[in-house]
Amino acid sequence: MLKMTHLAKVYRTEVVETYALRDFNIDVKEGEFVAVTGPSGSGKTTFLTIAGLLETFTGGHYHLDGVEVSQLDDNARSRIRNEKIGFIFQAFNLIPDLNVFDNVEVPLRYRGMKAAERKQRIMDALERVGLASRAKHYPAELSGGQQQRVAIARALAGSPRLLLADEPTGNLDTQMARGVMELLEEIHREGATIVMVTHDPELAARAQRNVHVIDGQVVDLAEEPRFHAHAHTAHS
Amino acid sequence: MQIRPILAALRRHKAGTILIALQIALTLAIVCNALFIVHERVERVRRTTGMNEANVIAVQNLYVGSPGTYLPLMKTDLQALRSMPGVEDAYVTNSFPLRRGGWSTTAQRNADDGKNGVQSALYFGDEHALATLGVKLIAGRNFTPGEITSFTRDQQPAPPQVIVTKAFADKMFPDGNALGKTVYYIKGRPSTIIGIVEKLTVPWIDTDFIDNVTIMPLLFDSSYQHFVLRTKPGQQDAVFKSVASTLYGVNRMRVLPEKNGVRTFGMVRSAAYEADRGMAVLMSIVCGVLLAITAAGIVGLSSFWVGQRRKQIGVRRALGARKSDILGYFMTENFLIALAGVVVGVILALGMNQWMLTQFEMQRLSFTYVLVGVVVLLGLGQAAVFAPALRASRVSPVEATRSV
Repeated sequence: MLKMTHLAKVYRTEVVETYALRDFNIDVKEGEFVAVTGPSGSGKTTFLTIAGLLETFTGGHYHLDGVEVSQLDDNARSRIRNEKIGFIFQAFNLIPDLNVFDNVEVPLRYRGMKAAERKQRIMDALERVGLASRAKHYPAELSGGQQQRVAIARALAGSPRLLLADEPTGNLDTQMARGVMELLEEIHREGATIVMVTHDPELAARAQRNVHVIDGQVVDLAEEPRFHAHAHTAHS
Repeated sequence: MQIRPILAALRRHKAGTILIALQIALTLAIVCNALFIVHERVERVRRTTGMNEANVIAVQNLYVGSPGTYLPLMKTDLQALRSMPGVEDAYVTNSFPLRRGGWSTTAQRNADDGKNGVQSALYFGDEHALATLGVKLIAGRNFTPGEITSFTRDQQPAPPQVIVTKAFADKMFPDGNALGKTVYYIKGRPSTIIGIVEKLTVPWIDTDFIDNVTIMPLLFDSSYQHFVLRTKPGQQDAVFKSVASTLYGVNRMRVLPEKNGVRTFGMVRSAAYEADRGMAVLMSIVCGVLLAITAAGIVGLSSFWVGQRRKQIGVRRALGARKSDILGYFMTENFLIALAGVVVGVILALGMNQWMLTQFEMQRLSFTYVLVGVVVLLGLGQAAVFAPALRASRVSPVEATRSV
């Protein structure tokens, strides 16, 4: 489903180039629930933005659902994001000017779906997360946990092949976090492929598999070197 | 199209939306009416006089002398002017089109009809008048030298023969056949229409009888006269430069005013419509400034909204919006605001015109102007929002993952 081989991401300025990811290798199979962990600045969010085609990469290969994405133009990347990927962000990222129904509708509109089908999918997704009765509410009228559930409904409505979650419980209290996590586990049990970035070992433990990232590389936890506080920086 | 969610989002930004829509509405209302005024003024400026205006020079002359001595002076001057190299013809008169000063009276069909009549400007001249002015005689004949008489300030102008414009003839005799008919300019003094010219306008630019003119075969025995000259093609400049010295050469006892003493007809026309041109320029500037302010307002608000919604744009991009979708979103949003603005603007424009109709005797606003205004404002809105919308479309989808 998601395969990165020798992937590199370099941020360049006039005087310095910073490797956010280097020789990064990961292979997520269909139906897996993978937690990507690591300390702050290790490169796990960079991995997620590249995996979600939000950013381009500097070197290596990335196959998503069998498609090599490095040569795709902006429109094609938008289409893949829209059709194959569902995003769940730490800050929920709902659009405050739109009500719950309209928020869930956003990706479906970009797909050019007919109104009747959009409505059906939106209501199904909201039922799925238990918020069908809140369709006309605005995000500001919901709790953090409810907002994240709306964000999950938005991610699910388009029936994506891959769910990418960036610290999905990072902004929630323990009780709400538990609820959201249970929802993700339920979605996974129904067959979804989920890649979740988190720095919370407790959450990571609930995933099928853990991938640990340090200094922009996937490491085997048993062989993890010590004292890697920052990504590697090379001066040009 | 995502009109419904755009409208829903706009409802959450009422203040900015209403302000910009109102600005568009006011601009439309003012621009429509201002452009209509410009159009009216331009139409006035372009109005023809019925003359062949090229190669015509007007000389304003004030004799220094006493009553009774002017007629011979006029005749000598005319002889000198007609003999000038480059001069085709000349005559002396009390007034001519666009001079903005002259004589008028109400002409009657019957000797004893004191009420009903048709107003007409009165031009005095001899058998050279028609050729010098370059007007077209469409019926009857010109004056003969024997028909030219004179009158003094104590007398009233009522010659036996007159030439009139077609407009005057048609109003005076709606059934037609004005030629040969009798008209009374002075009670009990009949004048026969011996010729009809196609068109000739009065000296003033603001009358409601602009085409009603009577030419009388008269020389007005007065110190104040106007000579009108027609030069040969290409000779106007030479005659313009030498006409004053020619007249002073004949007789120095006269005054040719420094400013308006000798003028080409182009200068006469330009002076007559100076205020109209000024108004047209002023209104055009007002329109330009208003449109610029409105465009700046749209650019400002759109740029502010793009800046405010960077994260939201990133989220939309992350959820699958293409650059063109984001561009389309902001263009559509502006179009909807501008549409609301022009709807209110059309009502305001018509209301403003209605008010001006009663206050300033303006004409009814042509709907074409409203339509053009609508298209211009909608186009302006789209042009103004394009740059901020393009900037919005370039927001990276990775913006969605950034914490503010």
